[in-house]
Amino acid sequence: MKEFMLLIRNEGDGKASLSPEQQQQFINACMVYIEDLIKKGNLKGAQPLIRDGRIVSGTPGAFKDGPYNESKEIIVGYYHILAKDIDEAIDIAKGNPEFAFVKGARIEVRPIKTREEGANKDYPTGK
Amino acid sequence: MTERNNIPQLVDHLFRHESGKLVSVLTRIFGIENLDLAEDVVQDSLVEAMTHWEYKGIPDNPSAWLFRVAKNKALTVIGREDHKRKYISSVVHLLRSELTAEPALNHLFSEEEIQDDQLRMIFTCCHPSISPDSQIALALKTLCGFSIPEIARAFLTTVDNINQRLKRARQSIREAAIPFDIPRGKELDKRLDAVLETIYLLFNEGYSASKGNDIIRYELCEEAIRLAQIVAAEKTIQPKENVEALLALMFLNVSRFKARQDGEGRLLTMEEQDRELWDEQLRAIGLYHLQEASRNNSLSVYHILATISAQHSIAADYASTDWSSILSLYDILITLDHSPLIRLNRSVAIAKVKSPREALAELETIRNEPAIDKYYLFHATQAEFLIQAGEHAQASAALEQAIRLAPLYSIKELLTRRLSRLTTI
Repeated sequence: MKEFMLLIRNEGDGKASLSPEQQQQFINACMVYIEDLIKKGNLKGAQPLIRDGRIVSGTPGAFKDGPYNESKEIIVGYYHILAKDIDEAIDIAKGNPEFAFVKGARIEVRPIKTREEGANKDYPTGK
Repeated sequence: MTERNNIPQLVDHLFRHESGKLVSVLTRIFGIENLDLAEDVVQDSLVEAMTHWEYKGIPDNPSAWLFRVAKNKALTVIGREDHKRKYISSVVHLLRSELTAEPALNHLFSEEEIQDDQLRMIFTCCHPSISPDSQIALALKTLCGFSIPEIARAFLTTVDNINQRLKRARQSIREAAIPFDIPRGKELDKRLDAVLETIYLLFNEGYSASKGNDIIRYELCEEAIRLAQIVAAEKTIQPKENVEALLALMFLNVSRFKARQDGEGRLLTMEEQDRELWDEQLRAIGLYHLQEASRNNSLSVYHILATISAQHSIAADYASTDWSSILSLYDILITLDHSPLIRLNRSVAIAKVKSPREALAELETIRNEPAIDKYYLFHATQAEFLIQAGEHAQASAALEQAIRLAPLYSIKELLTRRLSRLTTI
């Protein structure tokens, strides 16, 4: 199994237009989706991200930290998953309730770079 | 709604098994090194349920209610004790997140997961690095939801003694770093044998000669059966013949439980028992398991003991017991287990099939085994053979010796009755 990060992207406040009832339905759908991932051993972790935040930029000594939501599209949460390959990770992403409830939702599927098998095997020689 | 005055009893009794389930699941969540925490959370949940219900009445689904309380407490504990405790278990991570906590709890508290966690707990409690005494105490505490005073009563010992045993068990778990898991492959066979041994030991604590409260003893038998059923239900455990054989043995024996004493609580021998009191349903379940146990050619001590027990169960009366089959079974049994106790039991079949004199000769071969001369049943059995052989004077002497050695009043009484009948002949 390989690790992937699924980054959930919404345009602006994508869920603001949902009625309270729809919001509840969305939450319920997420619970079902997540429970299924846990049952199949696919989920390592998942967290929603608060829409407010800062963006740090600049160089050491000349940092800026501006508001986060200047761009049109923001990351609203992540799923850290285990999948056989990128295709399975994509399938898992497609099952996310975001697509059924949030117009313009996009999910970025990114393989996590983990330490390679057999790496760091060079031991000091003692000299 | 149930009557309010039943609440303490309901919480104490009906929820024993629920509490066994909860301790198992919470141990999975917190990790075996935090077993004490799992037990505390379950205890707190029971107290909270009891207090609430005493005030408001018992809800329609008390079990679901109790589970909800335990789930909430688990989440609180994970938040609160985060810095104090080290959780190895990977699921804790999911319970920390608002998004994943509820689905993770639903998954962890699903029927299948609970069943698996109870099995993990069985394998943990029955780990060979824990002493047998402590294994049973731990199983009763964690899996069967017995309180420490109840365990003490079941073993006719003190609360302090049980606390010591539990302390040693937890220490062994830590020192041996026993994993909270179901073993696989080659490891499984070995560990499964140990599990069955502990379950059989627990059963015998309940079943063997009248000691302590009858109700508690019967409950020990029921618990042993329940644990074996959890093992038998697990698909990945194969082959199951030995578990089935143990279940057969326990059901067949327990089907005679209520016939073993008369109205005044006096012990009755197999010959004296009213066979009408044998439980037909339990016997049928026992015979079913015996059939399941014979699906391939495996042969364990449990197979033979169960078949011997079945021979008694299917005999219409004591006189028509098929003693020659029983003797053949004992002949096989002593090739697997040559202990003096098995040979002592075998001598009874020898007396029936061959002659009392041959049985007496057999007893002579085990007389010098360690501890057997101090065992009342050796002398009581010898007395029976002597009576059958017409040696009444020697029989009286053997009976007197047996009465001196008998550990319990009810047994002394049984033997004294036998002696007085003998002297009035």
